[in-house]
Amino acid sequence: MERILRINMTDRTATFEPVPDRYAHRAGRWLTSSIVHDEVPPTSHPLSPDNVVVFSPGVVTGTAAPTSSRISVGAKSPLTGTIKEANAGTGWGGRLARLGIRAIVVEGMASGDDWWLVKVSQDEGRFEPADEWSGIKLSEAYASIYERYGGVEAIDVCAIGVAGEQRMAAAGVCFSDREGRASRYAGRGGIGAVLGSKRLKAIIVDDSGAEGVSIADQALFDEGRKKVADALMSHDITKPKGALNTYGTAVLVNIINEAGALPTRNFREGRFDGAEKIAGEAIFDGNKERTGSELYNHPCSPGCIIACSNVWHREDGSEHTSCIEYESDWALGANCGIDDLDAIAEMNQLCNEYGLDTIEMGGTIAVAMEGGVAAFGDAQRAIELLHEVGEATPRGRILGNGAVVTGRAYGVERVPHVKGQNMPAYEPRAIKGIGMTYATTPMGADHTAGYTIAPEILGVSEKLDPLDPDKASVAKGFQEATAFIDSTGHCLFIAFAILDIESGFEGMIDECNGVLGTNWDADDVTRIGGEILALERAFNRKAGFTNVHDRLPAFMESEPLPPHDAVWDISDAELDKVSE
Amino acid sequence: MTALHLYGKLRRFATEQSPRAASILRVRVEPGERLGDLVDRLGIPREELGSNLFVDGRYASLETRLAAPLRIGLFPDDMQLLYKWYFRPQEESPDAG
Repeated sequence: MERILRINMTDRTATFEPVPDRYAHRAGRWLTSSIVHDEVPPTSHPLSPDNVVVFSPGVVTGTAAPTSSRISVGAKSPLTGTIKEANAGTGWGGRLARLGIRAIVVEGMASGDDWWLVKVSQDEGRFEPADEWSGIKLSEAYASIYERYGGVEAIDVCAIGVAGEQRMAAAGVCFSDREGRASRYAGRGGIGAVLGSKRLKAIIVDDSGAEGVSIADQALFDEGRKKVADALMSHDITKPKGALNTYGTAVLVNIINEAGALPTRNFREGRFDGAEKIAGEAIFDGNKERTGSELYNHPCSPGCIIACSNVWHREDGSEHTSCIEYESDWALGANCGIDDLDAIAEMNQLCNEYGLDTIEMGGTIAVAMEGGVAAFGDAQRAIELLHEVGEATPRGRILGNGAVVTGRAYGVERVPHVKGQNMPAYEPRAIKGIGMTYATTPMGADHTAGYTIAPEILGVSEKLDPLDPDKASVAKGFQEATAFIDSTGHCLFIAFAILDIESGFEGMIDECNGVLGTNWDADDVTRIGGEILALERAFNRKAGFTNVHDRLPAFMESEPLPPHDAVWDISDAELDKVSE
Repeated sequence: MTALHLYGKLRRFATEQSPRAASILRVRVEPGERLGDLVDRLGIPREELGSNLFVDGRYASLETRLAAPLRIGLFPDDMQLLYKWYFRPQEESPDAG
């Protein structure tokens, strides 16, 4: 039977309860946002006992569906004050799903100074003391936890680092990868700080004895997963030795840079002269040079066909960090004016060790550079600043609370954010479609909320009609489809294949119908996505957000972005159509 | 001269090649030439090209007429990460007049 595990930190109890009828068929983002909407007072403080952290594997997570090991994590965000869903690829969620656990709800707040770990297994959620893992690097904590609880075959680990313990708003939630690294993050929005406020250091999942995910129609499910697998295996982007498997997501560095849309030096320019030195091709060739072999990327989680997760190696061939994703590469690289992959790798690893969102931290360091704390391009100083965050010095606490707090502390006007969350790696002045997503998603500036890279307006201002109704409907449609995919447990990158190959898209729906016994079709994808967004927007409205918050920072309207010298010129009326 | 930036497997056609830096071919664009003509003249097989082609940072196609661009960027067929159904390539480069 499907169940919810409620972990109450106030009285340190863990209780299984049946999934209420109103949550039938809901999983992943659909369920995390439903529970946050239903249980968290919208005006509550994110670090108060009233907030909850919800974990939910997607509809097909834990099954044989390819590339479907995403775990959604939801809460009210201490970074944005909005509802938040962040997700990660890891074996942790699959184990949860196979135990029949549709969600974990962490509620209340422990009193005292002790840290806690909860071990989830078939019959219980058991509290254990976790003080020994607080205040240390996450790689050390993970190694010790694995040693104590049976190794990577037996368990997967979710934990917060020192940033979460210190309740910093840039703290992510870290999950284990297939090799047990502390490297897969539900990074955005500071949910690590919410877990820190509750004094929950880690949740480990042991799925021994699990019955597996119950599947209503095995034949339909198998047909669906085969269609998805065929699409992923045949598409140039997602197939083995395709673009993502070879160059990782950092394949995008050169592409977005060529389009003049790679935010550089705190969004001052759209093109970085060191882009080629930090791009996916440089990672592939650099690894080849250092290890003597062509290293294709590995899956971050079980059952992934795309396998886009890389490892960067030091000059002596030893492992430095995993994974330098496009966003991390850009945030810690181009956005800080840094073109040295070894320095980016070190910064990436420090974020992994201290439990930080790489996007927010790269954006924050860039804002600090704008404020004169360091020069753009000064990698050594940037590394020192990250150590200050890990050590929670007064300056480190400012930085660890993100770009907006840092901008205030250092008197910086140019803070590229929406609703308090720093923008990711696509310049909205050059790619207006993604700017509409940043502005209107309930999550704050988030590229994954609707990957609206609409190249017909790629810096081509003379062709731009700001009142073209298509742009709002495209942004809306992408946000709906994304909310649905985030609820299936599939990685968003399957979109490259299933939006090109129709049978792949059908396969995704067949898989869900196979598991749930539903009769969803393509219209239901839009309907369900719309329902999820409506829930999230309703929460935000009650929390005090209005259309006025669905806007980009004013400097983008007046400051032309080279090389296209584009400004942000989408009207407020057009933006408001997206959320109508 | 135009700087032709080559990416992915197309880097083998560059004269300035480095495994960890830009791979560039300096070319002179002939008057009235289309991007496809230039590609043919340089011996880059059209079948290795994808839809992600840029002239001065603007999305282009093999039909795009070139007028002294400063920079061209070519990505191969296995690197078409920008969703192609949104692309409406300009037939003329921006400075074609």
